[in-house]
Amino acid sequence: MPIQEPRVLKAQDLKCSRGGTELFSDLGFSVVSGESLVVKGGNGSGKTSLLRILCGFNHPAEGKVTWCSQSIYGHDEYRQQVSYVGHQSGVKPDLTVLENLVFMQRLAGASSQESEIKEAVRFVGLFRQRNMMTGKLSAGQKRRLALAKLQLQQRIVWVLDEPLTALDKEFIGEFEQVLKNHLDNHGILVVTTHRELKIPEYRVKRVNLSPSC
Amino acid sequence: MLSVVLTVIQRDLLLAFRRRADLMNPVLFYVIVATLFPLGVSPDVEFLGRLAPGLVWVTTLLAALISMESIFRQDFDDGSIEQLFLSPHPFSMLVFGKVAAHWLITGVPMLVIVPLMALLLHLPVQAIPVLWATILLGTPILSLVGAIGAALTSGFRGGGILLGLLVLPLYVPVLIFASSAVSASVDGLAVSGHLAMLGAGLILALVLAPFAIGASLKISMS
Repeated sequence: MPIQEPRVLKAQDLKCSRGGTELFSDLGFSVVSGESLVVKGGNGSGKTSLLRILCGFNHPAEGKVTWCSQSIYGHDEYRQQVSYVGHQSGVKPDLTVLENLVFMQRLAGASSQESEIKEAVRFVGLFRQRNMMTGKLSAGQKRRLALAKLQLQQRIVWVLDEPLTALDKEFIGEFEQVLKNHLDNHGILVVTTHRELKIPEYRVKRVNLSPSC
Repeated sequence: MLSVVLTVIQRDLLLAFRRRADLMNPVLFYVIVATLFPLGVSPDVEFLGRLAPGLVWVTTLLAALISMESIFRQDFDDGSIEQLFLSPHPFSMLVFGKVAAHWLITGVPMLVIVPLMALLLHLPVQAIPVLWATILLGTPILSLVGAIGAALTSGFRGGGILLGLLVLPLYVPVLIFASSAVSASVDGLAVSGHLAMLGAGLILALVLAPFAIGASLKISMS
């Protein structure tokens, strides 16, 4: 991945409310290339809301998020560097596994060859199901497909909301290696998870969300 | 830029083809109205011929409205709207591709079936080309304007009624100019003024609506 200079994703004094309830306030952190931010917190503590703010989908009630000192809102360069895997996998149930990835790649402006796409499908263990409609896949297989997209798009900032949900133990190990490789390649990882990820501690920053943290 | 719009169109057409039942809805609606109306009101040829311009266009408008609610619904449900937002391509162009696909799925079948419907309703034959032209110019406006409302209401359940309230007033000028053009044609009057107004509306919608749809979707996402 051709990343040269360190990039910084910084949040300052973030406040987020939902339905009149304050989820978090005065939240600040910065993550540089090669680091990960692990967000923890109970149900409804605002983990997903924080991730959506960092992707630019939602605006915080207060505070700001910057990418290399520029606000992420209206910052096209940042938008082009973010890959997001949320609770919904972003795949179309009426398209096959391969079709989903081909369309995702084209829409993401990536010029992946068919062989690269097939390789990614093989890596996530869906090669046998490559021509199967995604709607017929299990929840774990859909998750794997969404994660295959990460590898293909090769963006700098990976924002992952509970990426390990529904995955089996064997694949979790392989996926953790992918995350480590991403950090080795100066990528940034923002992840919510209820499970400890096997990432070197010096590369991990943590945010623990609790009401009005 | 054009290639990414074509990619969105290709994807949505493929999805529509795999859900053929949805594809048939506007056409079925058309056929049902054309068949039932003479039975329910009057089979009188002259009476039906006089009503046909307005009836065809009200049916067109309602068929467009029915199909509108689902244009962004699945993208919200399956999370692909976020993926479109993170695309390096302009968001407004991507949603324009979605609207273009929607028109190809709903508008083109209407273009095909409307001459048959006109004949069923005893519209004078000389007015059918004008009716066809109004459908060609008017249905893309309905798709573009309707998509603004659909984008605003896609973020929450039960947005269908709100969509109607938002969009129907904006559909009225299209209904007036289109049905007036067909009526004028039946009476042997000039129709170029009406068609020019529809053409102007289409250009305006093509230029402005994609930005409004993109902005509305961002509001619904947040």
